[in-house]
Amino acid sequence: MSAETLLEVRDLHVSFPTPDGVVKAVDGLSFSVHRRETFGIVGESGSGKSVTNLTALGLIDRERAQVSGEVLFKGRDLLALSKEELRRVRGKELAMIFQDPFACLHPFYRVGDQIVEAILCHDDIPKKQAQQRAVDLLGAVGIPHPQDRFRDHPHQYSGGMRQRAMIAMALSHNPDLLIADEPTTALDVTVQAQILDLIDRIKNEFNIGVILITHDLGVVADVAQTVMVMYAGRAVELGSRDEVFDNPQHPYAWGLLESIPRIDQKGSRLIPIQGSPPSLIHVPPGCSFHPRCPHRFEPCDKDVPALADRGSGHPDACHLSVEDKRRIWNEREALRKKAVS
Amino acid sequence: MTQPGPSPLVTSPKTTAEPLVAVEGLTKYFPITKGIVLQKEVARVHAVEDVTFTVSPGETLGLVGESGCGKSTTARLLLKLLEPTRGRIFFEGEDITNLNRSRMRPLRREMQMIFQDPYASLNPRQTVGQIVGAPFRIHKTEGETKKKVQELMNRVGLNPEHYNRYSHEFSGGQRQRIGVARALALRPKLIVCDEPVSALDVSIQAQILNLLEDLQDEFKLTYVFISHDLGVVRHIADRIAVMYLGRIVEVAQADELYEDPKHPYTSALLSAVPKGHGDAALTQRIVLEGDVPSPIDPPPGCPFHPRCPKARAVGGPVDGLPENCTAEMPPLGEVERNHRAACWYPLKHGESLQKAAHA
Repeated sequence: MSAETLLEVRDLHVSFPTPDGVVKAVDGLSFSVHRRETFGIVGESGSGKSVTNLTALGLIDRERAQVSGEVLFKGRDLLALSKEELRRVRGKELAMIFQDPFACLHPFYRVGDQIVEAILCHDDIPKKQAQQRAVDLLGAVGIPHPQDRFRDHPHQYSGGMRQRAMIAMALSHNPDLLIADEPTTALDVTVQAQILDLIDRIKNEFNIGVILITHDLGVVADVAQTVMVMYAGRAVELGSRDEVFDNPQHPYAWGLLESIPRIDQKGSRLIPIQGSPPSLIHVPPGCSFHPRCPHRFEPCDKDVPALADRGSGHPDACHLSVEDKRRIWNEREALRKKAVS
Repeated sequence: MTQPGPSPLVTSPKTTAEPLVAVEGLTKYFPITKGIVLQKEVARVHAVEDVTFTVSPGETLGLVGESGCGKSTTARLLLKLLEPTRGRIFFEGEDITNLNRSRMRPLRREMQMIFQDPYASLNPRQTVGQIVGAPFRIHKTEGETKKKVQELMNRVGLNPEHYNRYSHEFSGGQRQRIGVARALALRPKLIVCDEPVSALDVSIQAQILNLLEDLQDEFKLTYVFISHDLGVVRHIADRIAVMYLGRIVEVAQADELYEDPKHPYTSALLSAVPKGHGDAALTQRIVLEGDVPSPIDPPPGCPFHPRCPKARAVGGPVDGLPENCTAEMPPLGEVERNHRAACWYPLKHGESLQKAAHA
């Protein structure tokens, strides 16, 4: 992609010492996000997808966590910035929306005033002007009668409207990068569709990059251009949407794709991934997926597979050769087709 | 009991046997009161409104809808965990609407529930043995409880040696297995599953869905399966009822509902689900405008009319909408054989709502 690189994460490690041992939340992660790109991060709970972004935003308590690596945002290492410098970037050039729009707005204050506060945080402009901008923003994210709704309290908003208000707040300083952490998980499907459409629209209108964190492969397949699959703190597959969904390389990605009941297919027996995700205190040696992987062989429990292109055209972290993967994936596909018919 | 049996409304075509559960005109209002001593009712939440359906033995009925559509309230009414405002509930042909607690108790063995949140539905201060053994103690069954519990644990895929462990020692998926074992303990006929996999990761979700299917075959269970996830419901349900604002708006066989939805709301709901890769680019989403109206003051006529693209396409005298949509609730009528939809202008076969909206 020739577009400007906004965020580049290099070999990021984040771990939290606890009385029970060290939790390795993120273990050697590298990726980059470009302007006008929606970068989807998928993984199950505890795969490190949220911690990665909280670290990038400086929202991880650095006294409690061990962080190493680099997070370059427009060329500057966010991890090396002081709190003061970081505050000038965060909310201005780098904005975030969270999963639960019920918890993110203060219940005592009017929605409009909360957006004004966000605006005045970084811009020294008269309050009147800030209010006008807040109203415009509410209108831009599709809230009807923004002039009136500006004066409402959060409880007068529905879930979808609150998420829209959060997006308005995030956009208040024309950020370059928007990080959306499970933005639609708490919402109903019809509202989810509205919010996903909105995020896609503002990405183009405001010419920004978006990191979309989700556990829902369907959401990623719908809106993301690039997809990174995470498992136990590591990236196991990274590629364009077409590459990852048409030609998945990692057994974990296969398992995820196969275990989802689809609405456009008749119910056949689901193929679950055996076992459960590992504890991040005792991450299995070698490939962290090997205890659950039906295709494991000799090196899997010893060597950590690097995230590299093994001939498929996009990087993955699995020891199997690209020929073996193609063979196994075709076999699994045939099995699945047989089960459906 | 001289009560007449339930009328054969919305029966499953699969069996002609007597339905295991039937509800007729089930309605539940929750009062909103003002004042502390003299609690004056100022408004009502219309949680469930005139719901009628039957479930045949061995069948899985899926109840889908968005939050606040009344699907969980319906489940609670079905199990008599809530008293209905109106309507009747039949279990194996017997009217159980007005049974009191003690007369309900023997029936409770036959109907069990699996809850959504495996963290909140298990007592953290009890061991697995106590949790799964509780139904045996309450109903004072014969025989050794421990052995029965361990058999159950084995059956749902838990290690029976973990009998003395507490629920916090298990993962989310394993906890849900504990919930399943508890529901299964007394060999019920009916299990109401209220969002049983919503709190689980996808890889674990598939394990639990497979388990529920295996148990259904083995123990001839009947499920009422509630979920907001349309993929999950299609996978597990034989027949599906779609709810909107407390009413059932469409009922049909699962495949038929997904391939040929009749109600505009069903069609919009299905199109809103991210399809994943492949046809995603081809099938255009129908983005509904606005939000679900408040159940305190539901719109007159068809509750969906303010958001309905089909009504707008048909057009009419009332704000561009047809008069009957805004004035009268359409009955849940048979549009095709065994396919009912509560709509004045049901979608024709293959009719795309997108086209309707732009016509």
